[in-house]
Amino acid sequence: MVAVGRQDALLAQMRKGTLQYCVLALLSDEERYGFDLVRSLAETDGMVTSEGTIYPLLSRLRRDGLVETTWRESTSGPPRRYYKLTKSGRTALDAFRAEWGPFRDAVDHFVERKA
Amino acid sequence: MSTTPDKLVERYLKHLEVELDDLPRDRRREIVDEISGHIAEARAGLEHETEADVRNILEGLGDPADIAEDARERFDVRPPAQPQPFKPGWMEVAALVFLLIGGLIIPIFGWVIGVVLLWVSNAWNIRDKIIGTLFVPGGLGLPIGLALFSSSASGGTCGPVIAGSGRAITAAPCSYDTSSTNYFGIVALIALIVIPIVTTAYLAYRLRQQPTVAAIA
Repeated sequence: MVAVGRQDALLAQMRKGTLQYCVLALLSDEERYGFDLVRSLAETDGMVTSEGTIYPLLSRLRRDGLVETTWRESTSGPPRRYYKLTKSGRTALDAFRAEWGPFRDAVDHFVERKA
Repeated sequence: MSTTPDKLVERYLKHLEVELDDLPRDRRREIVDEISGHIAEARAGLEHETEADVRNILEGLGDPADIAEDARERFDVRPPAQPQPFKPGWMEVAALVFLLIGGLIIPIFGWVIGVVLLWVSNAWNIRDKIIGTLFVPGGLGLPIGLALFSSSASGGTCGPVIAGSGRAITAAPCSYDTSSTNYFGIVALIALIVIPIVTTAYLAYRLRQQPTVAAIA
């Protein structure tokens, strides 16, 4: 009961920590613009609670050199800023994938209810 | 009373801009521009836009305060809401001591040290710092110095005899009433002693009055 607030905060931190890799993964095959990225992320429940928080994340990724951006004309409105994975972005994603798989399996192993 | 969608969007973006205030400017611009673009894209995709649609878009983006909190965390910016409680340290104590009696320890220079510490410290606002500097330059060093100076000078020349036994008064070749000069001198001397003490007490009081950093002058 007491720990509920703490647990929420912890889950929010986990979501936040992994979100950037989901974004990098979404960019691994093609470049995308912000709205498109948000739409893809929002399709899966539980990943993004406020869509607006993607934009500080994108800005940070750009400054860290994990993604780069290009403006492109759009047929339906003003130009869009497209995000694309850089080489170090790809390295970071690969490193995360290597860690994440065993980690996820280990957590599942302990917390999943046996049928 | 209905609000037009444009108004809603405008209000949202303004709110966001305010919430992001403590972010570096370029980052704030980038985030606001991107979110503004997001809203435009979402609205462009609607067939017949209603106010409810726009409200849903904005709600999906989230509370500007939440976005700002997230952004601050992403960019390692400290939240402005809770400034560290200010604890007077050695610097503030030293500033007060040097302002008051620094001039006695090291003539003039000791007081200057006090002034420098006073201005460097975040404990006082500009007004306090000006008061501390002007009342009285030299601190107690000024009246004591004046007293020493005039008592040594009183033997030969005419001037307020503000210290000493007054035995030299008859020898002073002054034509006017020396006793009233003397009286004025003593009042001035007392004022010069009392004012720096009062000022120091005031600054010490301000130190206790300000639990938060008052660096914003």
